Amino acid sequence: MIYDDELETLPREALQALQLKRLQNTVERVYNLVPFYRKKLDEANVKPEDIKSLDDLKRLPFTTKQDLRDNYPFGLFTIPLEQVVRVHASSGTTGKPTVVGYSKRDIDVWSDLMARSLAAAGVSKGDIIQNAYGYGLFTGGLGAHYGGERLGATVIPISGGNTKKQIMIMKDFGSTVLTATPSYTLYLAETIADMGVKREELKLRVGILGAEPWSEEMRNAIEEKLGIDAIDIYGLSEILGPGVAIECIEAKKGLHIWEDAFIPEIIDPETGEVLPDGEEGELVITTIQKEAIPLIRYRTRDITRIIKEPCKCGRTHRRIERIKGRTDDMLIIRGVNIFPSQIESLLMETEGVEPHYQIIVDRVNNLDTMEVKVEVSEKIFSDEIKHLQRLKEQIEKDIKDLYGISVKVTLAEPKTLQRFEGKAKRVIDKRKI
Amino acid sequence: MKRIRQISVFVENRPGRLLEVVDLLGKHNINIKALSLADSSDFGIVRLVVKGVDEAIKVLKENGFTVSETPIIACMIDDKPGSLASILRTLAENQINIEYMYGFASPVEGKAVMVFKFSETEKAQEILKEHNIKMLSQEEIREI
Repeated sequence: MIYDDELETLPREALQALQLKRLQNTVERVYNLVPFYRKKLDEANVKPEDIKSLDDLKRLPFTTKQDLRDNYPFGLFTIPLEQVVRVHASSGTTGKPTVVGYSKRDIDVWSDLMARSLAAAGVSKGDIIQNAYGYGLFTGGLGAHYGGERLGATVIPISGGNTKKQIMIMKDFGSTVLTATPSYTLYLAETIADMGVKREELKLRVGILGAEPWSEEMRNAIEEKLGIDAIDIYGLSEILGPGVAIECIEAKKGLHIWEDAFIPEIIDPETGEVLPDGEEGELVITTIQKEAIPLIRYRTRDITRIIKEPCKCGRTHRRIERIKGRTDDMLIIRGVNIFPSQIESLLMETEGVEPHYQIIVDRVNNLDTMEVKVEVSEKIFSDEIKHLQRLKEQIEKDIKDLYGISVKVTLAEPKTLQRFEGKAKRVIDKRKI
Repeated sequence: MKRIRQISVFVENRPGRLLEVVDLLGKHNINIKALSLADSSDFGIVRLVVKGVDEAIKVLKENGFTVSETPIIACMIDDKPGSLASILRTLAENQINIEYMYGFASPVEGKAVMVFKFSETEKAQEILKEHNIKMLSQEEIREI
């Protein structure tokens, strides 16, 4: 279902005209109100009035996560704090978190974008949304919450964790929609099976899953285990929170990025050069609807590409491909670049392993080593060592053949690897410890 | 055909894991008649013949172990030098391949019990029968 018929199917030309107007307003706004941006633009020798076409965007400097940290906590806000109605912050595992603020209008725009996203995933007014994203400084919980309410659905603000209670409520309240991270969804599916709850006892129809990179094969595993449509949603707190881009249920192929609020670009992460549509690189987003903290050419560090071909759903907003990973998640093993999501894809395609895994990277005698721990499935457990050995060797060979790195695969007992209630942490890099 | 039920349990190679398996069975008063441990560098398979197979499987599964059941053959032979060689010779002469085998802990006086997993179970049983080698049923296992 299309929530905002006019904006979501706006012809490209009109959409671009709208983008230009909003971009010009944004640049003027930050130039006049944020000393950081005034300085940056002056250094780049660009004035707001120089932005005459969307093509001029590339003359503007990038904004990085470090810039947000340097201006901690409120240095990039364009409005005084008394007009800020809410703040969120990123987890900030290293150092200070990055803080974002929202004006009343920002919350309104966000609610609309999120309602639009939920509708694209097939959610409508009569649905019951079990919102298992964490509530708090993390944008996931409240973002999905406000969007669900805006759409007119019933929202259960259960937050993450408390898995058995989640399932009881899912069953008793008849939840039709689950919003959660893909890894937590998998854990829920496993617990549902353990508790002996039958699929027919649940009304769950669709899962709107995001906040961490996941693979197409993980989608298949979730859809099969839960019998639902699993939809990929994308967002990041610096830009807005959830609701920046989402797959439509019609195509389930690529995520529509809401271009009336964001201008996406793909750049070469090394050189900063803008790449043509279709090429893979780092996603850069300029917010053109944000009031409290607009960001110019924010480097998301997420790797994807832009799909410019029109989508069968009729929305004119371009799509980005499923996020492959974050540049800072990329592992460099003896000079070979690899994303955890690539290992995940391969494991999910291997018969006999459960979708739970852990990657341990270490350095032994100055050589990088990588160990992949994966749980053995009850279905293929054999009483003969050689069958299990063959499974292990097959995975090692597949990784070697596809990505050119030698890894050690370790078979783990079922349910012994860590389960996650929020974002999964699948990589342990001992080289950094 | 006489077969007995063997339980196989997947265990990671780490201290105390085997203990957890046998401790669990002990606490549920399940007697282990025979046990063998097959291992690779980082995992192993514990193979067990017990009194109370169904309960053992239930208890192990409830405690998160991966368990499978395999039909195997138990032969009773004389507890004297050369008797195992004799049965193995018979099998070899008939081109029967043994996947694995192990012995029993508490056989009857003067007798020994060996359990076998063959590549071709049916064929192996025919041969054993032809040569009058005594095979035990699940009930008989419970008796000894």
